[in-house]
Amino acid sequence: MDQSLIFIALLAAPAAGAAISLVPRDGVEVAASLASSAAAVLVSLFLLASGTSGVFGLFYSDGLTRIMAITISSVFFTSVAYSWFYVRRINEPLIRFRWYYSLLDLFAFTMFLAVTVNDLGIVWIAIEATTVTSALLVALERERTSVEAAWRYTLIVSAGLVASLLSVVFVYYSQGTLLISDLMGSSIRAGLLMPVAVGFALVGYGTKAGIAPMHAWLPDAHSEAPSPVSAMFSGILLPTSIYALVRTFNLLQGLASFGAMRNLLIGFGVFTALLAAIIMGHQRNYKRMLAYSSMENMGIILIGFALGGIGIVGAAVQIVAHAFAKSSAFYESGNILVAYESKNMAEVQGVAGRLRYSGYLFALSCLAVTGAPPFGVFVGEFMILTMALSTGNVALVLLLAAVYIYGFIGLNRQSVKMVFGQSSSGQLVDGTTAGPAPRAAPQGEHWVSVAIPLANLAVALVIGVYMSPMLLQAAQGMVP
Amino acid sequence: MILPQPLLGELSGLLGMLVLLTALYLQSQTFVDPTIRGVAAQSLFLAFLFVILFLGSGDVNLLYLAAITAGIRGLLIPAVMLYQVRRFKHSLRESGSGQRVPSLVIVGVIVVIGGYALFKTVLLPTLSNPSASVPFVLVLLSLLLMATRRNALTQMTGFLEEENAVLYAGALVAPSIPLLIEFAVVLDILGVILVGVILSATRDVLRLLDEPELEQLTG
Repeated sequence: MDQSLIFIALLAAPAAGAAISLVPRDGVEVAASLASSAAAVLVSLFLLASGTSGVFGLFYSDGLTRIMAITISSVFFTSVAYSWFYVRRINEPLIRFRWYYSLLDLFAFTMFLAVTVNDLGIVWIAIEATTVTSALLVALERERTSVEAAWRYTLIVSAGLVASLLSVVFVYYSQGTLLISDLMGSSIRAGLLMPVAVGFALVGYGTKAGIAPMHAWLPDAHSEAPSPVSAMFSGILLPTSIYALVRTFNLLQGLASFGAMRNLLIGFGVFTALLAAIIMGHQRNYKRMLAYSSMENMGIILIGFALGGIGIVGAAVQIVAHAFAKSSAFYESGNILVAYESKNMAEVQGVAGRLRYSGYLFALSCLAVTGAPPFGVFVGEFMILTMALSTGNVALVLLLAAVYIYGFIGLNRQSVKMVFGQSSSGQLVDGTTAGPAPRAAPQGEHWVSVAIPLANLAVALVIGVYMSPMLLQAAQGMVP
Repeated sequence: MILPQPLLGELSGLLGMLVLLTALYLQSQTFVDPTIRGVAAQSLFLAFLFVILFLGSGDVNLLYLAAITAGIRGLLIPAVMLYQVRRFKHSLRESGSGQRVPSLVIVGVIVVIGGYALFKTVLLPTLSNPSASVPFVLVLLSLLLMATRRNALTQMTGFLEEENAVLYAGALVAPSIPLLIEFAVVLDILGVILVGVILSATRDVLRLLDEPELEQLTG
């Protein structure tokens, strides 16, 4: 079998879903998007299981490609499914729902393209296209804040990505090709331009990945987008941008400038993770808090990739585990938003009493994304810390430990208050008086709104307790 | 070749200087309309420059790039932006830090000098094309414009200027780079979405940044 067909199928599924979603008939958009995302999951599972590596026509595949593909397809599928529950509650959407589903499919298509194509120029186009396809999704709820968040997102990210276009230009100027396979297969010509290209890639793709100080768009877009879109942003869009950055950074392997650029990436990763961990615990809006948690995770993942060795395996594990756990947290935040109609934590207290399952799942998801054992994020963070220890860099180890501890306490202190606390006025939001026991009558929860985040959280747990050989093989294949 | 090479070089340098001068002109504007017209003029200058580069190299991609630059960033997007401005009965003026135009112009001049010094130190030894300093400085000026202005339309002019700068750099440094046209098209689609859809989403979105309810987007 021509193996490029696997990649064509991976791209064709969301593309077909996007086209069929536009058929003006009720329910077609949901069915088409569900079918296309399920097909994408099956194809990416096949890709992971087959261990396909190498160049296949326009496509390039290695361990990182396979891990990104399965992560993107899984979160895409669950976000489409959760959208069925969530978006119909939006009264005056900015665009029709069939356009919403179509753009969601195209959003996934552009991410699949970015992680499978064998050309740094097309990678850039695909990453830029993720902005085109997702800008309107952020503003779906048509509130002034969501429109402003969409504006900031599009402008800041595009401005940043123009810097990464300069990186592409410089790579081409210095190497004469943009084909990833050629660049990785041959010895890179040394010179000052390649580290400069990596520096521009760090600024450009780093902006999209939420790397500080270029992260200004991230908390706004994550907090104002509908929850399924926030889940896709956090779980798969940010890692896709990290993917593009890592592809460019890896070109420096063997060059004299590699060490300096590695330290630069580690520096930005530490700064991002530390900043997010500190800010996270002081948020008033629970979706913004989750957004800062994503930033923290991206910082740690960047450190893992820069450290190399088992740090790369840890970063790969963390990408997958974080995607499942964080999407679960965002779906739960959607359930809470639907019930409380507020994103303000002061007004959202005692969730476990009102939304029993969502409350507990939200608390567990927060534990999972902050690296509590035995969830997968813990395994990833542990591997990265182990790699940092093996380098003998005590300052880095201490900073990483501080990030883990501060982030864990900051996020979970807030989530526990939300889930088990009571409102500051002594009354619950629904007007009943707060007491020591469950304080409000439990509210019926739609099974879809519970089953999807539960499934994602379960996967994040399984990754932590059972390291799938397929996943491990793919992750280990990334180590040079 | 229709024109002699030295003349093409002179024309290319002249147009590059005009592009840079329009960037400084954009920095010096307090009202929104002249900023939009300024970036339209800059795009047209750049389109001419691409034509000159085409005459020098014969690369037909540069001709397509000139057409896209003139048509979309020189005419279409500015026209849509000026339409947005006309929805208001009075002239749109910058607020906040954008009003401190004289000091921003001085900052702009410092950015030009600092940017050129940085280019000369870091990039010139490997790029070996001194003309590439113009787009490099232009990128910095466009970022300054976006960072210091609060009006959404002025920020948009900064985005268009940055796009001009990078395509200019691409055409100058690596004219044979594949996908240059595609890069321009994707960026322009994004520009159209920004001005055509997001800015049109609510009538008074241009003043969003001054609204107290946007305090939710802090922290």
